[in-house]
Amino acid sequence: MKRLTVPARLAAVCALALLVLGGCAKDTVRYGDARGVETVTNEFGSTDLQMIAESMTRSMLDAPIVTANNLPIVTVQEVRNKTNEYIDTRAITDSIRAELQKSGKVRFAVDAAGMANQKEEIDRQQDDAYYDPEQTAEKGRMVGAQYRLEGNITSIVKQAKDVKDVYYKFNLQMWNIRNGLLEWTDEKEIRKTTTKG
Amino acid sequence: MKTIVVAAALTVLATTAGCASRKGFEKEGFAFGCPIGDTEIGSMEALIDAKVAQEGRRTNVIVTEMRCTMSGDRMKIEANLNNDAAQIRRVAYKFRWIDPEGMRAAEEEAWKPVLMYEKSNHVVSAIAPSNKAVDFRLLFMGQD
Repeated sequence: MKRLTVPARLAAVCALALLVLGGCAKDTVRYGDARGVETVTNEFGSTDLQMIAESMTRSMLDAPIVTANNLPIVTVQEVRNKTNEYIDTRAITDSIRAELQKSGKVRFAVDAAGMANQKEEIDRQQDDAYYDPEQTAEKGRMVGAQYRLEGNITSIVKQAKDVKDVYYKFNLQMWNIRNGLLEWTDEKEIRKTTTKG
Repeated sequence: MKTIVVAAALTVLATTAGCASRKGFEKEGFAFGCPIGDTEIGSMEALIDAKVAQEGRRTNVIVTEMRCTMSGDRMKIEANLNNDAAQIRRVAYKFRWIDPEGMRAAEEEAWKPVLMYEKSNHVVSAIAPSNKAVDFRLLFMGQD
């Protein structure tokens, strides 16, 4: 068997050391600022979600329908994702709803997504003999919403050799359920550009 | 007699001029519409010093003007950011809302990124999350 030369031996030892050290390297985990600016990729991220939710909430709280202090009852319908990427639009509307609810200026009626659970609970209370009949939730007592929230999120993506540009537009509307009038609407635009190198 | 009349007129003029309120300071405890409490604030620069703070990475983007007003029962703020540099600058900002007891009036806002072109101004505005927010701080940091 042919013996290795000195430089070849050195190179082999270095390669082995690198492999061992590489294997020992630990991943570092740190907590970050959940509300910090996130720029890991230019796909839809936490900063976009937070900016949209904050912008829409503040704008809606300034709408005449809300400032009139009539405590409008609202239900959240779908925000359609018209982008090419997966975006959990429910997370956006949940954030908007949480902010609005905290303001104490808007009340929310159960939405279509939560209706099955609501009905199931009423039925369970009604049908279960273990509950005090005086205190069980009765059918026919739910309050219907006066307004419904719906919206869209769209994007335009342009990509060249070293540049990727993403433009998002989020639009939210509040419709009067009884008369079909648009009571409030607003938009939030976001542009993100990634440059290689 | 004529001298007396002129002197009297001058006195009246001087008195009324002294009583005239300076623009932006008409309401006690407020400067340019923004709440200042008992703080001695006599200029826009002093108001900005009191209300603006830099956190994290420093930047030479500065706030040059700030005005507040009420929208219904909630405070509304506009602040002008200025980039005097010959390069694009990126900053992030957020408002911190304070209640009458000096505590946070709302959960901390998200940092909002802003691109500032060379030699440009950018107006950021905010409306208080609730009527409990009676004071505020504008925080910003460099993102370059």
